[in-house]
Amino acid sequence: MGIPVTTPAADPRPAGRPRVKSPWAAARAAAAAPFTRREGRELLFCLAGLPFAVVNPLALFLLATDLIWLVAGNGRGNPSPAAVAIAGACLGLLLVLVVSTKAARGLGSLQRGLAARLLGVRVAEPPPVRRSPGGLAWPGPGPRDGAGWRVVAYSLAKLPVGLIELFAVSLWAGGLVNLSYPLWWGAFRNHPPGVRLSPVPVFTPFGWFDEGTFRVATLPGTFAAAAAGAAMLLAAPWVTRAVTSADAWLIRGLLGPGRLAQRVHDLELSRALAVDDTAALLRRLERNLHDGAQIRLATLAMNLGMAREKLGDSGEVPDPAAVRELVDAALRGAKDALGELRSLARGIYPPVLDHGLADALTSLAADNAIQVEREVSIPVRPTPAIETIAYFCAAELLANAAKHSFANKITIQVTGQRDVLLLSVTDDGTGGADPARGTGLSGLAQRVAVVDGQLTIASPPGGPTKITVELPLRA
Amino acid sequence: MNARVVIAEDAVLFRAGLARLIEDHGHRVCAAVGDGDALLAAVAEHEPDVVVADIRMPPTHTDEGLRAALEIRRQRPSTGVLVLSQYIETKYTARLLEGNAAGAGYLLKERVADVAEFADALERVAAGGTALDREVVGQLLRASRRGDGLAALTGRERHVLALMAEGRSNAAIAGALVVTGGTVEKHVANIFDKLGLPPDEADNRRVLAVLRYLGS
Repeated sequence: MGIPVTTPAADPRPAGRPRVKSPWAAARAAAAAPFTRREGRELLFCLAGLPFAVVNPLALFLLATDLIWLVAGNGRGNPSPAAVAIAGACLGLLLVLVVSTKAARGLGSLQRGLAARLLGVRVAEPPPVRRSPGGLAWPGPGPRDGAGWRVVAYSLAKLPVGLIELFAVSLWAGGLVNLSYPLWWGAFRNHPPGVRLSPVPVFTPFGWFDEGTFRVATLPGTFAAAAAGAAMLLAAPWVTRAVTSADAWLIRGLLGPGRLAQRVHDLELSRALAVDDTAALLRRLERNLHDGAQIRLATLAMNLGMAREKLGDSGEVPDPAAVRELVDAALRGAKDALGELRSLARGIYPPVLDHGLADALTSLAADNAIQVEREVSIPVRPTPAIETIAYFCAAELLANAAKHSFANKITIQVTGQRDVLLLSVTDDGTGGADPARGTGLSGLAQRVAVVDGQLTIASPPGGPTKITVELPLRA
Repeated sequence: MNARVVIAEDAVLFRAGLARLIEDHGHRVCAAVGDGDALLAAVAEHEPDVVVADIRMPPTHTDEGLRAALEIRRQRPSTGVLVLSQYIETKYTARLLEGNAAGAGYLLKERVADVAEFADALERVAAGGTALDREVVGQLLRASRRGDGLAALTGRERHVLALMAEGRSNAAIAGALVVTGGTVEKHVANIFDKLGLPPDEADNRRVLAVLRYLGS
């Protein structure tokens, strides 16, 4: 997971499924479907998956059984239960070995790579195996590696999927061959009259030879074959799409980090962000106190000390004007220190938040230099932590808009929907807000991520800018 | 005494107040600057008797004042260096004194409120003496592993030990405790005897001896 900043972009629509406008356009799109690059890549993926369907626990099991049967019983009769058991044990050992070494994970990463290159399906690598310190120094992930066993599960599931992928490939190949019949009929069947030719079989989705095929023996018949081929070619992309989608689903589910591991990873990341954020906050606080109230109070004490010295222990004060000046300075210092402390305290937690987010946003909007319109509807009050985060997001976004956007009007919208709080700040300014530049927006995104929230930025150059923060109601 | 002083402090109001305080006590402030580099330049230019420097200054706001102070102590050992800070770090004390407590001081900033005491500390450092904040000494006493040796001291002797560690002379200690100089001398002799330290007459050397004892 990265920091969940999402910038909405044009949704890449599947090549074979454009938005339907008219029946004619749909027909044209369907006709064009087989010839897009995407279809080609999907077909390649189907072909590249073939070895997986062959090198497969089930296939290996059958192979091992047959081998043992051949060696032990010379292939006579049926394989004995003992042979089956030995084959099973061998297969089990092999699988343990494959999982324990890096082989299974390697296979998974190969398939993930294919899916990324050819299907555009990017699946993260499973996290490396955590080793208990002092364990045996084994170079691979070990036999208890869940990710490795999930690769084995994938290769089992790949068997039926791979067969359907093979079927999809056959649709393409058979369709092309059928389509070509009228072309070579003349070239190869150019024969003297009276010669009787055997009819040629036409491939169909239901078979390549004999059953499921039909035969043509005349030139007009070849047009029927070509029609069948065209139909197969039109159907092929959809079958390919369906089966590669199913495969991608399997890859996501079995070859990725696993939902739990992904969640753990996300939580680890957001925890690290929270810890960093807290540390930075404390450092800023110390700095503000050190350079603000603390030094003001030290100066104040110094002025009072000097005044006290000038007052002397008793009797006449030799220089009352100087004393007055020092006391005045001390008084000013005390007021400044108080103001500083007040703004610091408010920055830590604005007391107005005790009365709810709506009130706090009102006072925030009143402080802003640019006119702010508010639309707040929060039927269910969020937890204090969420209110605080929402408040500081709003404060930061308002400050950003005032500082960078040259906006005339800012709208702040807060709505509570079931279990989500949506806060959006829209300005009619110049746009072009980018989380990559500056730390403000990415810092906000980090803070929001800590409670599983999300920050969405829509800020095209020229404006308007709309930044939406989505927070859970409870955290 | 009439000392020539250079001040380095980034908080403008505090710096102005400090300059005024020092001038009110009959010294001359040659320069008041806001960071470590400017301090070094001002010292090279004015060759002051004593420097008053804030530890935390721009650009990094960590310890540039202390680093500049150490540089001054290295280049011009005769220049007194009094560093101020809002916190006391015993590690900074160790870096500042490192084998030589002559003409060095380390005080909390808020000590300037006791104007006379601060002026006294400044003059002591300018004259080659030592001025350590009572907080430094307190921290060292609390953290010291020499509990047994310290337990042998009477309450009065512990007080004298603390004042000694702050860098005060026997006369100043006598003034603070409202006793005669002879009494203080007796206490000091007792302390050195009980802690097993070789007696030393010079104030700044005995500061070092006491600090070493507490720190070891």
